[in-house]
Amino acid sequence: MTDTIVTDLKSRARTWHRGHYYEDFALDQTFVHHWGRTLTEADNTVFTTLTLHYNPIYTNADFARAQGHAGAVVCPLLVFNTIFGLSVEDLSEIGGPFLGVDKMTHHRPVIVGETVYARSRVIDRREPKSRPDYGIVTWATTGLDETGAPVIDFERANLVRKRP
Amino acid sequence: MFMTPSDLTSRDTYFEDFEPGEVIRHARGKTMTEMDNVLLTNLVMNTAHAHFNEDFMKDAFKGVAGFDTRVVYGGLNFSLVVGLAAQDTGEQVIAELGMDAIRLRTPVHHGDTLYAFTEVLEKRDADRADAGIIRFKHYGINQQDKLVCELERTVLIRRRVAA
Repeated sequence: MTDTIVTDLKSRARTWHRGHYYEDFALDQTFVHHWGRTLTEADNTVFTTLTLHYNPIYTNADFARAQGHAGAVVCPLLVFNTIFGLSVEDLSEIGGPFLGVDKMTHHRPVIVGETVYARSRVIDRREPKSRPDYGIVTWATTGLDETGAPVIDFERANLVRKRP
Repeated sequence: MFMTPSDLTSRDTYFEDFEPGEVIRHARGKTMTEMDNVLLTNLVMNTAHAHFNEDFMKDAFKGVAGFDTRVVYGGLNFSLVVGLAAQDTGEQVIAELGMDAIRLRTPVHHGDTLYAFTEVLEKRDADRADAGIIRFKHYGINQQDKLVCELERTVLIRRRVAA
């Protein structure tokens, strides 16, 4: 009986696809990525401790304040991974593995409680001869604070599947 | 704070303690578990379900031994490698300035163990007297001695306060 419901659902549903194909990317095209993210104390402590990143400015607010910060500093690798994470659906969810990052710059320390936003621009697209079903797209991605000032930028390239 | 930074951190992790050309093997490794990958991938809202949908990967990579399972998000692979190197090369860091030439060479799956090595590439003065700038190259290897990732990392790092 319940199997009938499943069969019916599968026959009537449209799949709400997420992500973009190679053909969807044009040179200089820009993306404002979804959601934004407030970097909380919980995020920072979990990330810093699970990755064993032992610098007390990330895990000791008293120490960070003594260094002149307004509070505990967000581990810069968490800032990177959050901006990257926010960009995935638009850029690389339909793709191959992520192969590398270049020219990553941290413009300033981010403090726990700040909110960051992500945006990207297509800086290269090409079609490798070895993989006719894929293209390679390179993006410049920027993480912005609440005022729109950059806190991080980097470039990354991915294999991106062509439309089937 | 009633303590000083030197009370709370190692005595041998300052700008003066690194020489260009030296290679460091860091003391600890860490096994990348399902908890690490799924928790952190979801925490940073990376939406690619190859990192958190076992059923999808079983189907997508059917019959490809070792790959028909969730793959660890690559950003976590090099973040953990930097972390494994961080007590030695990051405890006195005032600011992480940037990274470059990050390359992911081998995929990581739940249960793989990562170790870190560091080469000191370059040291130079900073525009403040109490710190200098060091460029490191970090390498991550797995339990089978395969190179997992490599990256360059530039930091502003504290000089030892004269005793």
